[in-house]
Formats: sequence, structure tokens, C-alpha cells
Amino acid sequence: MLKKLFILVLLISSVGVFGQGKFIAKNAFISFYSSTPMEDILGESNEVVTILDAEKGEIIFQAIMTTFHFKRALMEEHFNENYMESSKFPKTKFKGTIEGFNKEMLKGPVANIKITGVLNVHGVDKTITVPGTLGLVDGKLVGTSKFKVTPEDFGIVIPSVVREKIGKEMEITVKTDYLPFGQ
Amino acid sequence: MKIKYIIFTILALGFIGAAIGLKMFFKPHADINKLEVEFKVEATKLMDEFQKGENTATTKYSEKVLEISGKLVTKSKLKNGTDLLILEDDMQGVSCQLDSVWCAANQPAIQSLETGKPVTIKGICKGYLMEIKVSPAVVVK
Repeated sequence: MLKKLFILVLLISSVGVFGQGKFIAKNAFISFYSSTPMEDILGESNEVVTILDAEKGEIIFQAIMTTFHFKRALMEEHFNENYMESSKFPKTKFKGTIEGFNKEMLKGPVANIKITGVLNVHGVDKTITVPGTLGLVDGKLVGTSKFKVTPEDFGIVIPSVVREKIGKEMEITVKTDYLPFGQ
Repeated sequence: MKIKYIIFTILALGFIGAAIGLKMFFKPHADINKLEVEFKVEATKLMDEFQKGENTATTKYSEKVLEISGKLVTKSKLKNGTDLLILEDDMQGVSCQLDSVWCAANQPAIQSLETGKPVTIKGICKGYLMEIKVSPAVVVK
């Protein structure tokens, strides 16, 4: 029992969240989408872990790159081997804070929010501010976000041969249902 | 005569090249049922290995086909309909998202699974994020 508790504390501290009052989702959804006249590319993962610190308004997302699935096996292969180099950079991480956070945001109806934080993709950190929504839906804390990123900002090199097939920007969609944790 | 052969050879090579290209482009996802198991392991042992040394365990197991046995603690469905099984520990156990094609054909097998009972799954290990992520997976027994 003690060992288990110790491990749990270690786990929580490893994602950098301390204190009482947290919300967690272990199967949050993130997709990225790019559309060009040549081809639509859609990768989806339902295995994203996220923790929201209800005291500080801090949000952390972590995903394993190889959990993103695509319609075509070849797309998945190219995504992991050529672009994301998933064996070298297996995870992506975002750590940010909700602007103007107060605890009422976690108890009220869905409202618009802004989150500023550092997104790490392909081993490269970039500070971003993204729009989102947060609030209760059927008594459950639900968060969403939609924003665009440019692969080149994260040192992802797309060969000119296929550059036309992949959109200049990727649209990222985030959806998560949080559950109370450690309260 | 010679030119005819050359043109024919070029056309044939072009045709073969296009066929290979198309086959690769439309290559289906690997069928988890047909993949060979690389490691047979108890869920508790796997959890121990990841908790003691994530990097070593990731190198050993990531993207490998595992057959994992353990106690089923959670059986649920995600919003998109994916069946989710969690072994040994709800928070930091082995989380398995089942293969949707396999699930469609094996609903009785999923329905018969009971929490608290032992289960064996086969799936691709994705790594460690608070828990061990396995997907896609199928139920062996």
C-alpha cells in the first residue's frame, strides 16, 4: 500500500502538478487535420493524458506519438518515421495556464477561455496562446480547443516532393471529459 | 525490332512500379490477430518494469506485440465507441483499446468479460503515460 502511494505521488510529481484538487482524463482526444486539393490528412488519438490543476488553473497534456492513427497505414508510417521521428521523440507535451483563471470556471456552464503555455513537439518547445472552452456539460467538466500549428515551427522537415500534399498548417482539435482526482 | 523491345520493357517496368506504388499507398493496417507475439508477460510485471525504468521498458516493449495477462479491473466504452479494458489498476495499470474490427465480430466475447476475473489480451504496446498504453488489442481469453 505504501509503495503504491509512493508511486502515485511520484507519478503526479513527474507531470509537475502538486496540491489538492485536480481533474484528470486518461483517454482524451486530440486530432490533427490538414486539407489540400491533393489529399486530406487526419490523425487521431484517444489515448492522451491530461491533468487540470483546479487551484492554479494549470493544464498539462501528454500524448504518445504512435497512438495517432490514420486512415492509411502508409500515412501512419510516414508520420512516425519521416516527420515526427517518433522513436527519437516518442511524446508530445503541452503545459499551460488558463488566462484569468478562477475556480468558478470549473463549476459553471461552458465558456470561452484562453490558455498560454509551452507546446513541445518533435523535441522543440514553442510558446503558444490558444482559444478553448471549459465548463460543465451534464455535470461533467468538459474542455475543448481548436488551433493551428505550422510543422516547420517544430523543426519538422517536409520534403518539397510531398509539400503540396500536406497543408501549410495543421488544425489541432482537443476534446476532453475530466474526472475529479485526488480530492 | 530492338526499339520495340526497349519500349515494351520501359512500359512493363513503369506498370510494375505503379502497381507497387499503389499497393504501398493502399496498404492496409496490420491485422493484430495475425501478428506474432514477441513477449508474453504478466500485467503486474510489465507495470513494475515501466515504473522502475520507463526508458529501458519503452526501448524493450514499445511497438512490440505483447500478450498480457492480468485481472480485469475496468471495462468501458469511449465516446467514439472504442472498447477499453484496464488490467490490474484503474489509475496506473495496463490500458488496452480494443481493435474496432475485431470488436465488431466478437461482441459476445467482450460481453462475457467480467471485472475482477483474469483476462489475457494481445496488443501493441505504445508506451507509458501514467499507465501502460496498449492499442490496438484483442482478447485472447
